[in-house]
Amino acid sequence: MTEVVSLEEVSETSVFGSKAVGLGQALRDGLPVPPGVALSGPIVEAVASGDEAAIEKVVEAVRPLGGPLAVRSSAVDEDGADASFAGQHLTLLNVPSAEELSSALREIWWSANSDSAITYRQRVGLFTRPSVAVVVQALLDPDTAGVMFTQNPVTGADERMIEASWGLGEAVVAGLVIPDSYRVDRAGQVLERRPGLKRIVIRSVAGGGTVEDEVPPELAERLCLDEGQLQELNDLASRCEQVYGAARDIEWAIADGTLYLLQCRAVTRVGP
Amino acid sequence: MAGAPVEALRCVPLFADLNESELAQIALLFKERRFARGETVVKEGSGGAAFFLIDSGEATVSVGGAERADLVPGDYFGEIALIDEGTRSATITATTELVCYGLTFWEFRPLVLENAVIGWKLLQSMAKKLRAAEENQAQP
Amino acid sequence: MTNDEAGTNVRFEPPGPGFYELDPVHFPRPVTRYWTEMHPAAFARGTADFATFYGMLIGGLGMSYVNGMAYKFVVPAPEDEIPQRFQRAEEVLAGKLWREQLREWDESYKPAAIAKHRELQAVDPDALSDEELVTYITRCREHHTAMISQHMRFTASAVIPTGDFLAHVGDWTGLPPAELLGLMRGASPVSAGASQQLEALITAIGQDPAAQDILASEDDPGQILEALRALEGPAGVAVNGYLDLVGNRLLDGFDISEPSALELPGALLRSIRTAVAGGEGEASDVEARIADVRSKVPAEHQEEFDGLLVEARLLYRLRDERGVYSDIWASGIMRRAVLAGGRRLAAAGRIHEPVHLVDAGFDEMCSLLSGSDGPSADELAARSAFRASHSAKDAPATLGTPPPPPPDLSTLPPAEGRLMRATGIALGALFGSSDAAHEEHMLRGLAASRGVYEGPARLVSGPADFDRIVKGDVLVTVSTTEAFNILLPLLGAIVTDSGGLLSHSAIVAREYGIPGVVGTREGTERIADGTRVRVDGDAGEVTVLA
Repeated sequence: MTEVVSLEEVSETSVFGSKAVGLGQALRDGLPVPPGVALSGPIVEAVASGDEAAIEKVVEAVRPLGGPLAVRSSAVDEDGADASFAGQHLTLLNVPSAEELSSALREIWWSANSDSAITYRQRVGLFTRPSVAVVVQALLDPDTAGVMFTQNPVTGADERMIEASWGLGEAVVAGLVIPDSYRVDRAGQVLERRPGLKRIVIRSVAGGGTVEDEVPPELAERLCLDEGQLQELNDLASRCEQVYGAARDIEWAIADGTLYLLQCRAVTRVGP
Repeated sequence: MAGAPVEALRCVPLFADLNESELAQIALLFKERRFARGETVVKEGSGGAAFFLIDSGEATVSVGGAERADLVPGDYFGEIALIDEGTRSATITATTELVCYGLTFWEFRPLVLENAVIGWKLLQSMAKKLRAAEENQAQP
Repeated sequence: MTNDEAGTNVRFEPPGPGFYELDPVHFPRPVTRYWTEMHPAAFARGTADFATFYGMLIGGLGMSYVNGMAYKFVVPAPEDEIPQRFQRAEEVLAGKLWREQLREWDESYKPAAIAKHRELQAVDPDALSDEELVTYITRCREHHTAMISQHMRFTASAVIPTGDFLAHVGDWTGLPPAELLGLMRGASPVSAGASQQLEALITAIGQDPAAQDILASEDDPGQILEALRALEGPAGVAVNGYLDLVGNRLLDGFDISEPSALELPGALLRSIRTAVAGGEGEASDVEARIADVRSKVPAEHQEEFDGLLVEARLLYRLRDERGVYSDIWASGIMRRAVLAGGRRLAAAGRIHEPVHLVDAGFDEMCSLLSGSDGPSADELAARSAFRASHSAKDAPATLGTPPPPPPDLSTLPPAEGRLMRATGIALGALFGSSDAAHEEHMLRGLAASRGVYEGPARLVSGPADFDRIVKGDVLVTVSTTEAFNILLPLLGAIVTDSGGLLSHSAIVAREYGIPGVVGTREGTERIADGTRVRVDGDAGEVTVLA
């Protein structure tokens, strides 16, 4: 069984998890996903155990990606269902090089096997052993990033809800800032623009890891997305819906003027 | 090297009566897990998924906010929830950088079932805890 | 909510450069074409008036209509006028010049307006020829336009003394605006529906058994009112006097699309019955409440408190009077004229329903009544249907690019700063602002996950505090990460300072099915550990209970 495969070629959800396969499919469909490598559930477990052969194999596979890495978990479930609980989606940013990868993989394995992750699985009726695969990509250095739901998750209305902030999207995902909030309808009409309070920006640091920096005051309440970018995001939402279906939770980033798709998963709870 | 170092298991009372090859086999099942100082390792009331033994560092055990005990290398914890599938009976917090080796339920259960010696050891330690708990209650 | 039928995704473009804010409070539904034609200029004139009178830092306000929805914008004051505006602001405060406006209102504007209203409503539009009717609606429209300007002209006077009071007393006592406004009670009888005509009505009916019988009967409300009007003697006179005063007032809203009191005889009758039944509402305790608040004001400010309260109470009635005696009446008169025109056009088969004529623009109305070209019956019906099926909820809250934040009030000269602050507070307190404000015991944030839950708040700054959480707690923290997931089975609700609807805390709260309010900004500062709170994830509110 293949344990390591390039993101463009990954297709088996039972081995690599639906997140990896989703991203692979997105790449194949021409969506702007940063290239990367998918590591299977079994090999991630082997690395977490300390198996030297496995570690070596993984390090070699990601070397072509170069320097700082973004490491994302991709949960596998036997029935192929999306285990979309936020806690299962541990993302480790700025793993500085291939050598540090094994401890990153161990952390991810444990996060999938943590008390809360296991308890959550049981709560939603999954009693089988979790298997967690991983996607490794080159780390971006975005100007703006955030999350977009292709359907309003609170009201269920048919509109895009976008939350954005400066720097790495973790600031939005982890709720470190009150992000800008935008609602855009399917046709691209901007229904609402609400500037947030974006006091913190997360950036990667040389040598590994990320740091929280203060945002200059004049930028904290300035809208970080313009009309053109909102249209691009709306287009991305439509394309994702075409590829995956409705009700998607999308993580995106804009780096050097290019919009990237970082994650695209199903939203489990939409509307009242 | 996969799994926990055999030395780490040897000083754990739970595994004291096993021979070298049994120890080696069991050691393979473990995975290292590190916790930062101050990190909550296990939270009272939450569901339990793993059993840990401490290789280096220290932790405290508290129940209902009150500190009950300290844990040092060689100590283990977390087995109760894995046995009765209940919730964590105490909160364990790392007081220093903590290096543990852990087993999840899926390794732990077969391990105990297949290894009567380990089972017996667990029963002994449970009995001690039970006695201590009863004595506590009896006192005013 | 959103208009699904016909798939008409109406586009909202900014009407021009600048920043526009939806006003769903005054205009919850789309307005008529007639209104969009005449309102903006009249509104601009009136607001420019008050801005100049008060030396405010704005040139005035504007109202623009996009797909029938009302969008307000600010007209900046000309730069070269600013020094003289600063000067004027000082004069206004020193001389309490709002009293001058109140005098103008009482002595000339209000009586002149009432006289004009009566003059116009004395005409029976149904009895006019088509040509005469066109002349008549032209007069009504001119009057309507003038009354809108009049309403806006007196807006600042209506709100600034109250806002000034709220600002100062709020600072001195920390009491919220809602509570302080309670001290205005009794200062505006018009708001309570009182009038000399109503008093006369109550007395006359009280002394006339035949009138009481009619009032108490179970007949159709329209017939009851007719019967009362037809009475001989003081009762009939009093009923007519009262209905002349209030009959043409719009019951709600401002546009000619809204019904006036006489069109809803049931509502009118109910209010007459209530007034006649009398019974003084419980004796006002406002004196006691004033004394109570005064006692909370530091001694050195109490005299100032007294002075500010006097001004606020003096001007308070202007808030409602300026509408009721100006455009709310004039709009009803215009509507009455238009409905008369509509009746004859419908009878001639030119339009489907009399009321559809309110959807014609003014020139279109004249054209139709003159027998010339105009919109088809179907076209007017479609406009009416559009208004009925859309609401401000479908419209974007803002259009255009937001401006930079306004200057810090403390950088302005004291008089100007005080005026701007008083205006700001008054508009927020009296009309409700769209920006959620924090009340004393309640915090607002983003409604992230539905449901309501009450429980003890537990302030957690990080994993080191996790120990303190017990089952049923409400987590209050700056933000959450996966590390917090461990707590989820124990929590009843989640409240965070930062984070949006798509952040970890919001997603997790929704998936776990517990109420969540995120982005409160100050939750961790304003909620004390252990206090009982109610988290309302539907409204986005967190209330401190104990």
